[in-house]
Formats: sequence, C-alpha cells, structure tokens
Amino acid sequence: MRKSLYKTGCTLAGMLMLTMSITACGSGNSAENNGAAATAGSGNAAAPAAKAPVKISYLTFRVGTHASAKMEEEQIKQFNAKYGNEVEVVVEEIPSDAAYVDKIKILAASGDVPDVVMGKDGINDVLIKGNLATPFNDYLDKDAEWKAAIGEDALASNTRDGKIWSISDQKQNIGYFYNKEMFEKAGIKPAETWDEFMSNNEKLKAAGFVPLALMTGENAWTSNLILAAMIGTNGDNGKAFMNTLHPTDFNTPEMIKALNMMKELLEKYTTKDALGAGYANAANAFSQGKAAMIANGPWMIGDFSDPAKSSEGFDAKVGVAAYPDNSLISTYEVGYMIGAKTPETRDAAEKFIKFKTGLEGQTIALEYGNVMPVSSEVQPSDALKEKYPIMVESITVAQKTQLHYRTLDSIVYPNVTDAWKNLYPKLVAGRATAEEIAQELTDIAAKNK
Amino acid sequence: MVRKNRGYITLFLLPTVALFIIVYAVSLVILFGTSFTEWSAGRSPVFTGLANYIKLFTDDADFRQSALNTGIWVVLQSTVHVAIGTLFAVILSMKEFYWKFARTVYMFPNIISGAAVGMLFLCMLNPEFGAVNSIVRLFGNADYSQNWFMDYATAFLSVTMTWLPYAAVVTILILAEIAAIPESLFESARIDGASNFKINLYIIIPMLRNIIGTCVILSGTSMLQKMDIILMTTGGGPGNATMNLPIYIYKTALMDNNFGYSNSVGVFLIGFGLIFVLLCRNLFRIGSSEH
Repeated sequence: MRKSLYKTGCTLAGMLMLTMSITACGSGNSAENNGAAATAGSGNAAAPAAKAPVKISYLTFRVGTHASAKMEEEQIKQFNAKYGNEVEVVVEEIPSDAAYVDKIKILAASGDVPDVVMGKDGINDVLIKGNLATPFNDYLDKDAEWKAAIGEDALASNTRDGKIWSISDQKQNIGYFYNKEMFEKAGIKPAETWDEFMSNNEKLKAAGFVPLALMTGENAWTSNLILAAMIGTNGDNGKAFMNTLHPTDFNTPEMIKALNMMKELLEKYTTKDALGAGYANAANAFSQGKAAMIANGPWMIGDFSDPAKSSEGFDAKVGVAAYPDNSLISTYEVGYMIGAKTPETRDAAEKFIKFKTGLEGQTIALEYGNVMPVSSEVQPSDALKEKYPIMVESITVAQKTQLHYRTLDSIVYPNVTDAWKNLYPKLVAGRATAEEIAQELTDIAAKNK
Repeated sequence: MVRKNRGYITLFLLPTVALFIIVYAVSLVILFGTSFTEWSAGRSPVFTGLANYIKLFTDDADFRQSALNTGIWVVLQSTVHVAIGTLFAVILSMKEFYWKFARTVYMFPNIISGAAVGMLFLCMLNPEFGAVNSIVRLFGNADYSQNWFMDYATAFLSVTMTWLPYAAVVTILILAEIAAIPESLFESARIDGASNFKINLYIIIPMLRNIIGTCVILSGTSMLQKMDIILMTTGGGPGNATMNLPIYIYKTALMDNNFGYSNSVGVFLIGFGLIFVLLCRNLFRIGSSEH
C-alpha cells in the first residue's frame, strides 16, 4: 500500500513538473511580453524629471576586428555624451555575427530578449511571431523629423501589415570591386552582359589571374551576391523573385540557370579554397592581389588602404562596377527593433535607436564605417571623399544603375541561408544537379517554423 | 552504526540531489516533454503526440546520416582513440628516453580549445596556402593538392583526424592506473624470467580492464557532444557528409526554429548514450575486481 502511494506521488510530482516546465517555456507569450499591443511613449507621462538613467540592455556583434566596430563604438560614445544622464546602455559584446544570432534566438525561446535588438538573419521574424517586439508606428507618428531622416522606402521595407517593426540603419548598394591592373592586362572592362562577364573570366584566367574571390562557407556571402545578381537580372520573374520576402519555391528556371552558372564559376574561375572558405579568405584573396574581382559592399573600401589587410597603394588599383544589365543589389538592412518590456525601457530603447538611425547616427556610420546612409541628406564629408575616392565612385555607380534587387540573405529564411555552405560543395562535386539543389532549397524553406 | 550515520549521509547528499534536480532533472523533463510538441522560439508548445518521432524515423535522411556519422565516430573513438592512448601509456610507463618530454608534447592538443584546433587544421589543410598542400605540391609535376575538408572523398577522415590521434586524457588515466599496480608483481615476473613485452601483455593490460572500460565510455560519449571542431572546419558538409547529431540538433533548433523536433533528436541522443554506456559497463565488467 505504501509502495503504491509512493509511486502515485512520484507520478503526480513528475506530471506537475512537466506541466510547469512547458508552461514556463511558453511564457514568451505572457501578458508581460505582449509588446506588440503596447503603445509607445506611454512611459513619458509617469517619468519624473530628475532620476537615475534608465538601463537598457544591448548586445552587439560589431566589436573587435568587425568592419563596423569603429562605427559602433563611436555611435555609443556620442550617444552617451548626449543622453548618458537619461539612458544607460548596458552593452554586451558578442564577437561573431553567427553567435549573436544564435544567442538572440535562444533568448527569444525563453521570452527574454534584450531591450534593443538588431533584427538580422531571421531574428526579426522570431520576435514578430513571438510577440516580443514593439512596433515603431506611435513613436514615428510623434516625430516627423526622425521619420523623414529614415525615409518612406526604408520604412516600407520593414513594414508588415501596417506595423513598422524595425528601423533600417543603412542602405546596401552592392556591386563588385575589381583589380584595374589585372583587367588592363587581360584587356577587359567591367561586363555589361552575363555573356561578357563569363568571357571576362576566361580572359582573366588566360592572362594568368584567378578571376573571382568566392567563398561558400559561413553564409556564402560573396558567392551569393553574384547568384542574386544572376537571378535578379533574369527577366521580370527573376527580379520579382529577388524582391520577394521569404520565397518558398526555388524551383524556378531563373534559380536553376543561376546555379548552373555558379557551378561553372566555382569549378573554373575561383581560388582552390573557395569551397568551404569564409569571408576572410575571399576578402584576403582580393586584397592580396590573388583574385581579380570580389562582390561586396562599400564597407570593404577601408580595407583597401589598411596596411594590415592590403599591400601599399592597393586602393589605387581598385575599381567598382555594377553587375551586368546595369543592375545593382540595393536593399535596406533590417535594422533595430525594440525588445524592451516595460514602458520606461521601451522609451529608452527608442531614444537609443533614434540616435543610431537618425541623421547623427547615419553620419557617424558613413564616416566611421563607410556605410551608405538611408537619408539623402547625409553626404560624405570632403575628408572622407579625399580619403576614399572609391566611395564617391560607388555612389556614382549606384545612381546610374536602373535595375535593383535585394540580397538572398535579406529575403530567404535563415535556414536557407545556413544551407548554402553544404549545398554548393554538393553542386560542384556533381552529387546533385542544379534542379535537385533548387528542390532541396524548397524543402529547407518548408522546414522553417 | 549505519542508522547513526544515516542522518549525515542524507544531509551531505541533499545539496547534490538538489543541484541535480535543478540543473539536470528539470532540463531533462523539459526536453522530454517538449519533444512531443511543435514548439518554436517565442511561441507556446503545442502537443503533437508522437509526430516528431514518427518523422524522425521514417522521413528524415539528414537525421539518418547524422546518426550514422555519430555512430561511426563513437566506434572509432572507443577503439582507435583508446588504443592509441593505451599504447602511449604503456610505452611511457617504461620511463625510458625522454618520457616526460614526450608526455608533455602529447598533452598539447588536449589543452587547446576545440575551436583553436579547428582553426589550426583549417590553415594547415587550406588548398591555397596550407602547409600540407604545399608539401604535396613539392612532389611531382602535377598539382595533387586538394580541398581536404570539402572533398567528399576526404572530408570525413580529415575531420576525424582533428581529434582521433590526440588521446592524452586516456594516456594519463591509464598511466595513473599502471602506477597503482604493486611493484612486487613486476619483480616476481622478472624473477620468473618474463620480458617487458610479456609483462605488458600478461600483467599490465589485463589489470587495466576497468580503466580501459572507463576510457572507452569517456571517449565514446565525448563523441555525442562533438560540435566545435566540426562547425569550424566543415559545418557538417560537404552535403551532410560530416554532420553529426549535435550539429543536427543545433541546426534544427536555431536555423529551422523547430525546438520541438530538435528536442526529439536530443531524446534520441540521450537514449543512444545510455545504451552505449550500459553496453560498455557490461562488456568491460566495470566495477568487478576478480584479478
């Protein structure tokens, strides 16, 4: 009898623990976290005039050797100088983009995200679906100046069902950089069509150069920029695909054609370590004069005159070009989101984000990180133009292009972004055809929850 | 006497039991409970019964490949890795030549973090500037260098070589056990005319059964957590050639945002580990001391 009572007790205790655990896991949807329903600015009325600064938590991956580390440091420094007595930003440094994304997703699973969150690589989706973010509509409605500094297009790119979930802090205009010396020796100029682009590769190879600095590790960034350009310039369907958020069907003629072209590039026209290489390998191959072209954005410009990354005078050898068919990747970053839970921290988070994305923040980003601003009011200083003439060239190229599309990273689900590193080697090794890879991408997208 | 001490025993056990419940038992209950749900970050779990497990065993090629790779690595680690460690321990126990120096050098890879070892191998095996390919290029006219981590023919072995030969922990455990064998046994054997080889084969190795069994369990189960070096070097690729269960759990949870399904793989991994430990305990009769 005692034994049976003991067993029943244990079973009940186990069930209770299980129920409590599951309930606790789902607390992300509790009333406290009902961020979407909260109204912005509600903390102002209750805030007394003089009190201790409101603490907000902020995680950043822009640290150490990150291309935007200087920009981040300067933005926080200037924010503290201006608003330090009102808002205290508690910064936690995560020295890797991927580790940052993982950490935020894990925090989101327990319903406990930082007050200010960068919504990159699918984080925005997780926060929106999990009701863990506060939209900016009310804040922006009260601040026409800030709204204008961001601009309608940038706001529209982060609006869903009328709610502005994040504020873009930069516009990405991405073409490719090329080594003028190598181009001259091979007797070529930046291609205007994809046939010419492939023919340029052949001519560069014949002249003894490696044409492209590609990489398929990490998020296959430099390879996928070219893949995006191949798809985006392939008729109306290709352009539409590259401007669709979260495509679920990759079985399209445009994708298959582009994958076949990428296979050729990876097989014949890139470095031996491209399969599996990280961004640093590709960037190094171009900056060290081992490859003639690299697809990348203006934030790389600083590297060309950095003696730790490039040889002396290398910046003078670099030119910038648009992709064939007079086209360019042009997209707005997801930017910052409010993850704060109380009215007080929400207001403080908004203040910090407003500074980072307003005219002051955009100016700092341009001057310290070569980041393209979202506002046309922010222009490079004379000193910056003199230091980085290629920056001016980039702006001119961007202004001349007529066909625009987004990056693959900004449109696909995060699990698709993660899949490239394993799919490209499969394609190049002949273990799967372009059609099969397209089907795999479709299957992977369907797995996203 | 036992009754007198029972209070103390309970008192001293309480903190450990409490910690176990808080740190492990609760996590296990959550893991097991949510493995029967559809659960993604920021949303509440929804009970789906056995759906995750049915999909796992009937319709998931990536899972099958990950489980197979994990199994192969567990076997390799429990046999080759432990054999290398044991051999080294037996040689070092003879205390000949520069054995202390050799022991220290052999220990190096085990005191460096997995990520750093991964980075080191990435550089060494890089087809453009890596030392291995540079040496390969020195021989012959043709360029036989290759992308070791991304070639289907070499990826699995290349990743395996980043940890398989470095068995310093096994060596140290076995060295300690050898040191505990009474010297009188060796003296008797030598008086009877036994050579060093025969002493190793008939005295030392049989007496190491318990510790070798423990090393097999430690080495094998370490493969159930292996993740850092694989992520650094191949990320599970090319294709899914080097994917294992921990990486699959990571990808399913954080990339697919499918925590429920990921936890069902976690439950499978725990079950796999338990069966492996029980098998080893029986195989090596760990705990029994008949010699």
